Amino acid sequence: MRVTFPHLGNAYIAIEALLQGLGHEPVTPPLSTKRTIEWGSRYSPEDICLPFKTILGNMLEGIELGADSVYMLGGWGPCRLGYYAEIQRIILLDLGKQVEFVTLEVPRGNWGLARERLRSIFGSARIRHLFRGCQLAWAKLSVLEEVENLSLQARPREKERGSVSRFLEGQLQKIRLAQSVKTLRELKEETEAGLQDLMDRVSSHAVLRVGIVGEIYTVVEPFVNLRLEERLGSLGVEAVRTISLKEWIEDHVFKNALGLYNQNSLLRSAAGYLHSFVGGHGLESVARSAELSGCLDGIIHIYPLACMPEIMAHGILPQVSADKQIPILSLVVDEHAGETGFQTRLEAFVDLLQRRIYQCQDGRKYI
Amino acid sequence: MGFRVVVSPPTNKQILEWGLNACVDGACLAVKSMVGHSRALSEQGITLLFVPKIVSVAPGEYTCANFLGLPDLLRQYLPSSTTILAPTLDARKSLGALTQSYVRLGLPFASRGAVKRAWRAACQAQQTLEKSLQATQPHRGRLRILLLGPRYLIDDAYLSNNLYSHLQTLGAELHTSAQVPETVARELGKALDKPLFWSDTRRSVGALEHFIQRVDGVINVAPFGCGAESFASALIARRCREKKVAMLDLIVDEHTSEVGIITRLEAFCDLLERKKSG
Repeated sequence: MRVTFPHLGNAYIAIEALLQGLGHEPVTPPLSTKRTIEWGSRYSPEDICLPFKTILGNMLEGIELGADSVYMLGGWGPCRLGYYAEIQRIILLDLGKQVEFVTLEVPRGNWGLARERLRSIFGSARIRHLFRGCQLAWAKLSVLEEVENLSLQARPREKERGSVSRFLEGQLQKIRLAQSVKTLRELKEETEAGLQDLMDRVSSHAVLRVGIVGEIYTVVEPFVNLRLEERLGSLGVEAVRTISLKEWIEDHVFKNALGLYNQNSLLRSAAGYLHSFVGGHGLESVARSAELSGCLDGIIHIYPLACMPEIMAHGILPQVSADKQIPILSLVVDEHAGETGFQTRLEAFVDLLQRRIYQCQDGRKYI
Repeated sequence: MGFRVVVSPPTNKQILEWGLNACVDGACLAVKSMVGHSRALSEQGITLLFVPKIVSVAPGEYTCANFLGLPDLLRQYLPSSTTILAPTLDARKSLGALTQSYVRLGLPFASRGAVKRAWRAACQAQQTLEKSLQATQPHRGRLRILLLGPRYLIDDAYLSNNLYSHLQTLGAELHTSAQVPETVARELGKALDKPLFWSDTRRSVGALEHFIQRVDGVINVAPFGCGAESFASALIARRCREKKVAMLDLIVDEHTSEVGIITRLEAFCDLLERKKSG
């Protein structure tokens, strides 16, 4: 089958390998652009959150490229993500798109449909290929995240502006084409060395570290967060990711299915602020902010307009900020987000963080 | 259980303003008004505020993400002298678990016997209320309209801009999801390929199925930014299109003006009249 799927950052590189292992032909939609979001919004319910619209746009662009089936994650609440797939299926149906829509979720009742789905997913797989595909996909995801994290450290220290992003882009394409775990290991080392060369190790000025928390899609997808990590990098700030796709899959897919996943450590970190999960990444946003406040200069909290779990976090974060003495900037994005306004707010925030550092160094107060 | 109970007054301008000033701006109208109500109570010198964390009221379902964080959010806006009593009410596993959590909540304040008696009395009161709502015969009117949406919005005259009375003035016979018994709504809610996992909207969809053959039009009210409603209103609109029933989507927030609502209701009723007379 020719399978299309929505984008989530650079995860498409790993998903392609997985689908090939399953014996399908991946039809990767073009990376999200303005067209994606416009196309997606045109057919979406108007007050739905941004990820829904972008994902629907991805699906439409994938179908345009000739995909005959769509894979999408499902779920059972309380976040809207759990019902995305069903509404998207209906929208594609009403648009007359002849595609098989496969929702990946733990089935509840309707076992006939679940069996049918399993058959269409695994029907054309050969055990040996499947095993290799899974292994390769997992290795790609790990290398991908490590390389991205390294580039976050390198970007604020680069000798020539933009060189790290250019280099990373090339390396990602090499990872995409890699066919064995061994090649991936070599690529990782090559990237590490390459990034070291691009870095300016002479200059000694301190680099600010800013954590990024919030809703997973807006944190991970560079088009939707207006390339937040790159923007921070070129302002001379090291962005610190608090969300890892690999960890998310380990926790929510594997451990959850085996009943091993619990949120006790998150609840401990968020104690005094938020005492239960609120769906999505709301609890993570509060817990990570409280936990990492000691080793960061500031925190950026980003979420799509009307995201309910993150609104709860947004209401609670000011208290974390006051108690832990750490500046937190909450940013809300939707399809109308303007680049200039976004950049201005980031610059102002970074100025504020720098000022706080001066204040500590000479013991005088500027504010 | 021996408490002196103080309930906040019906929502008014002052209450909503308190909520708007304090609450995070992305929150929905209902949450903002909730913040205002808590403030109104704390101004009266309340020491203990009952704000349960209602995770779920039916097995396998959720209320909504905002309910889950509500007590923790309110704590940000209240003086430290007000203690929040926030038991977790969670029926995801079973309805028995919900009963247990109510009983556990009472134990620090009264003996087990007293708590159980209080719980039984509460259940009875709730049942009587639900029965009476189901038995209510709406005022006879020329147009039969099904009014859907969260109860904390449509039953609140101030937040819904007197929706009920305006519709009655326009000669509408109003039906709501409260008139449908839970068992019926649950069964009819299964009409969807994938049932909704938010109790309130699942009820709306069930009520729509129950009434759709018998009403002239459907009005769906939602607070701006509501996650569950953004899907439910799309599903309701689709079903209404299929059955060729007119539907009006009303999204309300703190900027909604009563005059605007009246105009839209009048236009909708005119349309229904015209459709009816062919």
